[in-house]
Parts: sequence; C-alpha cells; structure tokens
Amino acid sequence: MNLLKNKAVQYTILAFVVALIPLLLDINRSTLTLWNMVIIYAIIAIGFNILLGYAGQISLGHAAFMGLGAYIAANLTGNLELPFLLSLVLSGLIPMVIGLILGLVALRLEGHYLAIATLGFGVAIQQVFKEWTAFTNGFSGVRADNPVIFGLEISEREHYFILGMIILLLLVLFAHYLLKSKTGRALLAMRDSEHAAQAMGVSLFKYKLIAFAASAFYAGIAGGLFMHLIRFTEPNAWGITLSLNLLAMVVIGGLATIGGSIIGAGFIVMVPEFIKDIEFLASIKSFATIFTGFAMIFVIMFFPHGIARIGTQIKIALLNRRNSRVDKGKGGAPNGRSKG
Amino acid sequence: MLNLEGVHAYYGYIHALKGVSLKVEEGSIVTLLGANGAGKTTILKVISGVLKASSGSVTFLDHDISKLAPEKVVSEGIVQAPEGRQIFPELTVIENLQVGAYTRRDKKNIKSSYQIVFDYFPILKERQDQLAGTLSGGEQQMLAIGRALMAKPKVLLLDEPSLGLAPLIVKDIFKIIQEINAQGTTVFLVEQNANQALAISDYAYVLETGKITVEGKASEIKEDPKVLQAYLGGH
Repeated sequence: MNLLKNKAVQYTILAFVVALIPLLLDINRSTLTLWNMVIIYAIIAIGFNILLGYAGQISLGHAAFMGLGAYIAANLTGNLELPFLLSLVLSGLIPMVIGLILGLVALRLEGHYLAIATLGFGVAIQQVFKEWTAFTNGFSGVRADNPVIFGLEISEREHYFILGMIILLLLVLFAHYLLKSKTGRALLAMRDSEHAAQAMGVSLFKYKLIAFAASAFYAGIAGGLFMHLIRFTEPNAWGITLSLNLLAMVVIGGLATIGGSIIGAGFIVMVPEFIKDIEFLASIKSFATIFTGFAMIFVIMFFPHGIARIGTQIKIALLNRRNSRVDKGKGGAPNGRSKG
Repeated sequence: MLNLEGVHAYYGYIHALKGVSLKVEEGSIVTLLGANGAGKTTILKVISGVLKASSGSVTFLDHDISKLAPEKVVSEGIVQAPEGRQIFPELTVIENLQVGAYTRRDKKNIKSSYQIVFDYFPILKERQDQLAGTLSGGEQQMLAIGRALMAKPKVLLLDEPSLGLAPLIVKDIFKIIQEINAQGTTVFLVEQNANQALAISDYAYVLETGKITVEGKASEIKEDPKVLQAYLGGH
C-alpha cells in the first residue's frame, strides 16, 4: 500500500492506464491527434514550469526552442537518415546548448528586461527559420516521415500516443526527482530571494543555466515529437502566439506543479476545439486567443495558484471561514474575553 | 580572523566605500554602526563576494578571499543572515534550514545541526512544517539566523537583525546571538540599534559615508560623546 503513496508510482500507473485508453475505445483519428498534441504541449509546459514556476525566470521566446527541435528532428531523420530515437535526443540536446546562452543573458537581466530580451530572441530565431532555407526550406516548410523504432514504423495515432506517453512519463519522473532534490530547493530559493540564496552559497550562475537548459531541452523534445506527429512544419508555427500560449498553460494550470503543467496544456489545446464546435463563437475571428487571454486573467484573479490547486485553495478557504466563525462566536459570548 | 584593509568599492559611479579597514578577531562579537546609506550593507556585500572591491584586500584566516565567488565564500565559513530576513516564504521552515545546509559536505552531521538550531529557537521546531511566509517577523528573523547557522559558519554576518521588531523580541534575539557567540561562533553585527548592539559586543566601528570614523572597545564607544549624540539619542 505504501508503494501507491509514492508519487512516482502514481505517475507511472496513471500514464499506463491513460496510454491504453485509445487501444480499448474506438476514438477517431483527429481526436487522437489532439490527445497527442496535449502530450507534446505537456512536455514543453513542464520544462517551462521548471523555468518560470520553480526558478522564477521568465521567457517569452520559448517557441523558438520547440521550433528548433522540430527542424532538427526533420533534418536529422530526413537528410542525415539518423534513427528516430537518436534524432529525438539530439533535437532536445541542441536547443539545450542554445538555452545555456539564454541563461547567460538571464544572469545580467531581470524581470521586465529579461522578458524583453527573450521576446527578441524568439523573434530573431523565427526570422532565422524564415531565411535559412537550407535548414528550414523557408515558407515552403519541411516534411518528416513516420517515426521508426527498431524497425517498427509508427503510423497509427494510438501507437504514437503510447510513444508520447512513455516519453512524457520519463520526463515527468526526471522533473519530479530533479525538483525534489537539492537542485529543486536551490531553484526555489533563488526564485524567492536571489540575495538570500546567494548568501546560503547557492550559485546563481549554475542554477539559472540549469533552469534555462532544462526548459530548452524539454521544448526541443516536444518540437521533435511534434514534427513526427504532424509531419510538416513552417516558420509561422513558431511565433509569439505559441510562446504566450506556453505562459498561459503554466499560469492557468498552476505554477510550480508538474500536474498543473499537464492540466494547463490540456486546457489550452482542448478548449479551442470545443469552441470550434459552437457555431456562434466559431464565427468570431481568433476567439480562441481571446478566450485564452480572458481565462488567464480569470485564473490569476480568482485562482492565483492555478487549476491544479483549486481543491487545496477551497479547502483552506473553508477552514479559514470556519475558524473565523468560531472566533466570532467567542467574541460574542457573554463575558467573552478576546485572546491575544 | 577576518580583515579588511583599505577597501574601496563602487556602485556604478557611486564611491560607496572609501578605504575601509577593519578587523574581526576570532571568538568576538564586533559591531558596525552607521546611519542609512553609510555603506554598512556594502561592506557585507564586499565580504560575501557579491560586490567586488575595486582596491584593498579582504582576507580570512590569512588568505585572500576578495576574488572568490559568493558561494565559495560561504564554503570558507563566512555566512550571512541578510538584511530584511529574506527567508524563502514558499518553502517550509525545515526546507529553509535545508537550503542553509546547502554547501555542507558532512551530510551525517546535518541532523545534529537542526537540533542545535532548535535548541536556540524552540519555536522553529514547533513550526517546522509551516510555510516560512506565515511566520511572524520575529520568527522569520530567528529562521534567518537559524538558516545561516545550518551552514556551520566560522563567522556569522548579521545585517540589522533588530530591524522592524518589537523591543522585547529584539532583546531575546540579541541574547541568543550572545549564546551563539559563547558556543564559539565569531559574530560580525551590522546595526542601527546601537544600545543593544554595543551591550553584547567586544569591539565596535562607526561608519559614516563610506569611512570608518570611530573605533574602539564597545564599552568605550558607548561613552564616546559623538556616538552618544548620533546613535544613542543623546542621553
């Protein structure tokens, strides 16, 4: 029984159960594509949450890392004919190295200035995607094949979902253990007070680089998986909208929670699809983007800890209410003395 | 033990320290007095390696530490409880203490360090699983000191531990600082609350606009007319 209380075991069981759902039920291909997209965005959201939620560093340019991952995956499997898994790892590692450079920038900039610099970084990389045709084929876009693992070609969405789920699980477990360790505490300490963290011997240099590198790695892996799922990409996919959606995912889902990142990804991917089915709303241009904006404001105002923590928030609110009622009761009682 | 010789330091173009020399002897409590903006916190920043001195030397146990990165200075045994407490509000009390032990290599002895901190501050033991942000101001100051103790400092740097606290709590905290010192930790105290600070100190310096203007035994400084007027309300 104790084993079930272990978070890692819970994650693993949940992942396997959910991974098998498409095999058991008859779900159409386009819905399964969406489910796959949820997994892919969950991966990048977890990485982004390590950066924003745990380390307290903002980035408005993370779409660039995902795009980079996608193009790298396409080039490595297409032109260089590397095996899928190796290319996937590289589509995470190469953006990670570039993430280190952004980490160096973050050592010199804070808050708004870091937001502006990373925004500029995102725009610049998107421009590179447009111009560097040898790598990206410009606006004509690049294609990729179905992934092949040990000779098996994955062409069905059900199977891709299982593949995605395994990778998501590995990355969830990695994040879980990383954040529970000394590294996680150092990141949180840095977020809460850089000055005090430094006074305790936490190297800001090391941990800013770790945060940016890890988040860029997750983004790159997500990009690689995206490439082999959709099998086509072009530069417009990797702009500011995606970077802002990413921010919305972790804020709506819940900062500094792994579960919240996944919930947030599900929210941002699925809700626009539901809206599309409502004829009246679908006729309004960019309604999904408008809705995301409102959802973010709503969550920040009423559930600042995100959807993932609504349960806890309500529980605490009820407890407080009960306590204050008890206090009032004491105060109103005859001869009641207020206790300091 | 800790020596500053002719230290100059700049914030951008502002000449914040103009040739500061001071000594912290092993086993003592040394106080640095000064008004707001005199450069007290700047001195602590130079010692802890956050701000580099433009000239002059900073030595600890006879070797130069002026070029070391902040985390290396902590490993050397100089640990700070920063101004305004700066506890980590969203970590629990025990997690705050764990971060304090961040540079420790002797994992086995960390448990006994918790006990030492809890002996000084029993309230922290009661509150160990509470988020630090929910503690009162006095408790947060105790946590800030406890967190610094977790790093097993040879020299403990305290930046205005009395700031914003009720007089009774300040008295408690200064008593505990004295106890910590009696157990063998050297203390370098930066304060505006001259009365309390001088009462527990061995030696004191007065800093004015980046220069040391008065220094001497704490008991003598207490009687110095200039200091009396400026920091002790003239009585």
